[in-house]
Amino acid sequence: MNLRSLSCAALLSLAAIVPLRAQPSFAGPMPSRAVVEGADQRRREYLDRIHEVLAWRAAQPVVPTATDPAPVDMAAICSRLALRQDAARNSRDVIKYMQDPGSGPFWMFPVVCAAYLGRDQLTPEAQKSIRDAWRSQMQVRGDTENHWVMYYSSLYLMSDLYPGEPGTAWYNGKSSTENLNESQEWLLQWMDLSTTVGQGEFNPTHYIGEYMIPLTMLATWSKDPAMRQRAHIMIDWILADFASNTLHGYLRGANSRSDDNSVLERWNALSSFFSWICFGQTPPTAGYGGWGIYYAAIAENYTVPEVIYRIAMDRGGDFEQHNLKRTRRRWRYSDVLFAPVYKTDYIRDTYAVGSNQGGALDSIQAHIWDVTWDVPDPRGVHNTMFSLHPYSSGAALQMYFVAYPEPWIKGVTFEGKPSYDSADKILGPSPYEQVYQNLDTVIALYDIPPDTRFPHINGFFSKDLKNVTEDKSGWIFAQGGQTFLAYRPLAGYEWQEYVGYATLWVPERGKGKGDRILQSPHLKNGTIVQAAAASEFKDFAAFQAAIRALPLEFKLEPVPTVTMTTLRGQQVTVTYGQAPVVNGATLDYAKTWKLFEGPYLNAEKGSRRLVITHGKLERILDLNTLTISDQIRE
Amino acid sequence: MPLPRLLALFLAATPLFAAPAHDLYLCATANKDYIVGAKLNTMNGVLLRGPDDTYEPVGTNFPGIYDLVVDPRDSRVRYMATLNGVFVTTDGDRTRRVTTDWSVTEPHGICLDSHNPDCVYLATPDGIVVSTDRGATWARRETGLPERGKYTQVVTADRTKAGRVFAGLEKGIFVTDDGAAHWRCVFPTVRTVVDIRQSPHDPSLWLAATEGDGLVRSRDGGLTWEKVTTSFPEQPVYNVSFDATNPRRLVFSSWMNGVCTSEDGGTTWTTRNIGLPADGHVFRVAVDPDTGRLYANVHHNFIYTSTDFGRTWLKQSLAGAIVYNFVFVPKN
Repeated sequence: MNLRSLSCAALLSLAAIVPLRAQPSFAGPMPSRAVVEGADQRRREYLDRIHEVLAWRAAQPVVPTATDPAPVDMAAICSRLALRQDAARNSRDVIKYMQDPGSGPFWMFPVVCAAYLGRDQLTPEAQKSIRDAWRSQMQVRGDTENHWVMYYSSLYLMSDLYPGEPGTAWYNGKSSTENLNESQEWLLQWMDLSTTVGQGEFNPTHYIGEYMIPLTMLATWSKDPAMRQRAHIMIDWILADFASNTLHGYLRGANSRSDDNSVLERWNALSSFFSWICFGQTPPTAGYGGWGIYYAAIAENYTVPEVIYRIAMDRGGDFEQHNLKRTRRRWRYSDVLFAPVYKTDYIRDTYAVGSNQGGALDSIQAHIWDVTWDVPDPRGVHNTMFSLHPYSSGAALQMYFVAYPEPWIKGVTFEGKPSYDSADKILGPSPYEQVYQNLDTVIALYDIPPDTRFPHINGFFSKDLKNVTEDKSGWIFAQGGQTFLAYRPLAGYEWQEYVGYATLWVPERGKGKGDRILQSPHLKNGTIVQAAAASEFKDFAAFQAAIRALPLEFKLEPVPTVTMTTLRGQQVTVTYGQAPVVNGATLDYAKTWKLFEGPYLNAEKGSRRLVITHGKLERILDLNTLTISDQIRE
Repeated sequence: MPLPRLLALFLAATPLFAAPAHDLYLCATANKDYIVGAKLNTMNGVLLRGPDDTYEPVGTNFPGIYDLVVDPRDSRVRYMATLNGVFVTTDGDRTRRVTTDWSVTEPHGICLDSHNPDCVYLATPDGIVVSTDRGATWARRETGLPERGKYTQVVTADRTKAGRVFAGLEKGIFVTDDGAAHWRCVFPTVRTVVDIRQSPHDPSLWLAATEGDGLVRSRDGGLTWEKVTTSFPEQPVYNVSFDATNPRRLVFSSWMNGVCTSEDGGTTWTTRNIGLPADGHVFRVAVDPDTGRLYANVHHNFIYTSTDFGRTWLKQSLAGAIVYNFVFVPKN
C-alpha cells in the first residue's frame, strides 16, 4: 500500500513551484547572526520575512503544463489572500482548484487555510466550492502522526466553520458536531501523549512544518479559546525544542525523521525555513521549503517568544541537553507500543554532537547520531560526520506500518525513500547499533548477525572535510570548519565514493560530489568519534597528539566493547548489549532521563509542563492549567 | 443427437456459460504512484466486475479499502474495512458513513456472522473490534488475546456455527465460540497470520496463510492445525482460496513462487506462472465460485485470469493495480 508520507522532495513538488524569480533571502548573502535586542525590531523583521515569502509567491508567473495552460495552486492563492490581493482571481482559482479535489491531509490543510483567509474575500460561489468539496471528496486520514495532526486540525476547523450541519453534508457521513468532537478528542490525546511520554516525530528535518502549520491554524482560528490556547502551547513547545536543537539555525541529528539530502546538507531542510522566519539567522531553503508558504500566510498570528528566540540565537556557552522522546506506534513485533528514545545533545558555538541510544527506533528515516560543524554559509555544505549500519528489513517496516514485508521494501524506495534498500545508504536506524554519547564523544557499537542483508557499516566522510589523515594509530583525523574531528574505526575498512540518491525531483543528487563512505565489512564493529573546537588547541597536530594519548582499549569479541577516557576526562565503558558505565556508575536511562533536562528546557515525565528559560527570562507552558506564563527571574 | 440440443445441453452443463450466481467486487487501488495528498487519477476502492470483465467503481474513489462484506439479507448493506476505519453503506454505496472513531484505524479484515448478520467483526492493527448493531457502534472484544502481539490481519466467521469466528493475529490463529466474548489460541505463530478460509465443500476443513509458517490446514473445524507441506521453499504466503466448483482444487499466492495450485486436495502443489510476469509477486488469488476461473493480481501490475486453473494466464485489466481482496457476493 502506498499510503505513506510524502518525502521532502515530493512535498516540494506539490507545494512549491520552481523559483522562477529569485528569492531574496534564499539567493542573497548570509543573514546576520547578531541578536536583535529590541522586541519591536524583532517583530518588524519577522513580519518583513513573512512579507518576503508571500510577495515572492504571489508574484510567481503561471507556468503552463502539458494539460493546463493556466494551472492554479493553493500556495499562490493563499499568498494572495494573505496579502489581500486579486480577490476576483482568487475566487476564480479556488473554484477551478475545487473541481478536482485532492485526497488527504496535505490537500486538506492548504484548503482550510484558503477557506479561513478567504472568509471575507472569496465570493460565495468560491466558498461554496470549498464547502462542496468537503461534502463530496472522501479524505484519506493517513497513517503517521503528522498526517493525523494535519487531518484532524483541518477537520476540526472546517467543522468549526460550518457548525450544525448533518452527516450528509460531510464526506465521512458524520455531522459537524461529531467531526468536531472526534477531531478534538484525538488532538487532545496527541497533545497529552507528546507532553507526558514524549514527542513521536521529534526534531524532524522536514516534518516540523506539518506540525507548526496546522497548530498555528488552530491557534488562530479555533472558536474555542481552550483549543486556541492548547495549540499555542504546542507551538511554543515544538519551537522551543527546535530552537535548542539548532546550530546557528540548522537542525542536526538525532532526528526521528530525515531524508537522504538533509542528513548530509544539514541546512537544506524545511526546518531551516522555520529558523529563518522565526529567528532570522540562516537562509530559507528553495521555494521557502514549499510548505513554508502556508506558514507565512498565517504567521503574523504568532509572536515568537523572546525566550525561545534567545535560545536559538544567544547561547553564550556550551550546553548539554537530555530529552526523552518516543518512537512511533509499534503495531507488532515489539513488547511495547512506544519505545522510549533517550536523546543527548551537546552544543557548542562551532559544532554540535547529538545522538540517541540507537536501535530500531523508526522504520526508515531515523538519523541516530552525528557531529555537525558550523560553517559561515551552510548552503551546499555537507557539514556532518556519523556512521550507521545500513539496515533494511520487511519485518522492521511491519513493526511500524500495516504492510506486507516484501512489496513494502520495494515500495518505499519509490515513495521518496530511494536509499532504503541500498548497501551504501547513510540514513536509517538499525537494531544492531548501540550508541553512547558523553559530551562531544560518541561511541557507536555494532553487532550484526551474519544473515543480515547488509553485513557492514558505513561511515560518512564529507567532501567538505579538510586534512583527512589516516593515522597509523588507527584514528582518522579531519577538520570541518573550525572543528577538529577524530574518527576511530574499530575494524578494517575501505573507501567508496558516495554518489547519493537521485529522485524524480532532484536528479543531480545521484551524481556524486566528492563525499566518501568508509565501509567496514565486519559484523562486530564500532566507531568512536571525538570532536573538539580548533580554538582549544595550538594547531591540528596538537589535537592529534591529544587524541593519540587518550587511554583506549577495545575488543570486538564476543561483543564489541570500548573502554576509554574521553578528551573531557570522562571514564567510559560501553559494551554492546549492556548499559554504559560512566566514571564507574552504570547509566540507567529510564531512571535518569527526564522529559527535558538542560539549561534551557526542563520538564518532568508525565508533567504536561515545560519550563523554558534563558538568562532571566522564563516561560512556563502548562497544559494542565492551559496557561502560558512569562516571568523575569531574579 | 441434433446439434442445437447438444449445444443446449453443453451450455446447461458448463458453468462458464451459466448466468453467474455471484457478483465479483474488488477491493483495490489502481493508482500506482499514489501517495497521501496526491490526486486520485484512477479508480480505487470497490470495483464491480461487469459482464465483459471490465471493472467499474462502486461508491467513493478511495485508495485504502481493504475488505468488504455484504449483509446476506440485503446486498445494499455493506461494511468496508478501510484506512479511515469502517465505511458502512445501506444503499449500495451511493452514500456511506465512517462509523468508527479515531481509535480504529487501518483495519484490513472484516466479516459478519451469517447466523446473526447484525454482528460484524473487524481485524485491526491493535486487536479486534466488534459491532452488534450493524456497524452503528463498535467495541473492543479482546479477552483472551495477548496484550502485545494482537495485531490482527484477518477475521473469518464459521458459516456453520453462530458466534464462531477465527482471527489471524501476529501471535497465531485465535478462535471465539461466543461472539468474541472470549478468544483462545488454536495455532501459535511468531509471524502474522494473513488469511483464513473455510472450505465451501467441507465446513470442517480450513486453510490459513501465514508469514512464517507457510500454509496451514485444519481438518477438524479449526481445533487443531498442521503445516501443509509443499515442494517450495517456505515463503510468506499471502492468501489462499478454495475452488467452490471442485473440492480437490486449491490455490495460494506468494511473493516468490507466484501462483501455487493443488488439484488433489492439497497433497501436491505446482507453481502455475506461465503467462504471468517473471518475478512472481502474486499478491492475491481467488477462484470464481461459479466458473472455477482463477484470478490473480500481480502486485502493482494487472489482474490475470485463467480458465484452466493456472496452466495459462490471460492479462485482463487494471494496470498498476493492487487488489487487496476479491470478494464474491451471491446475487440477490
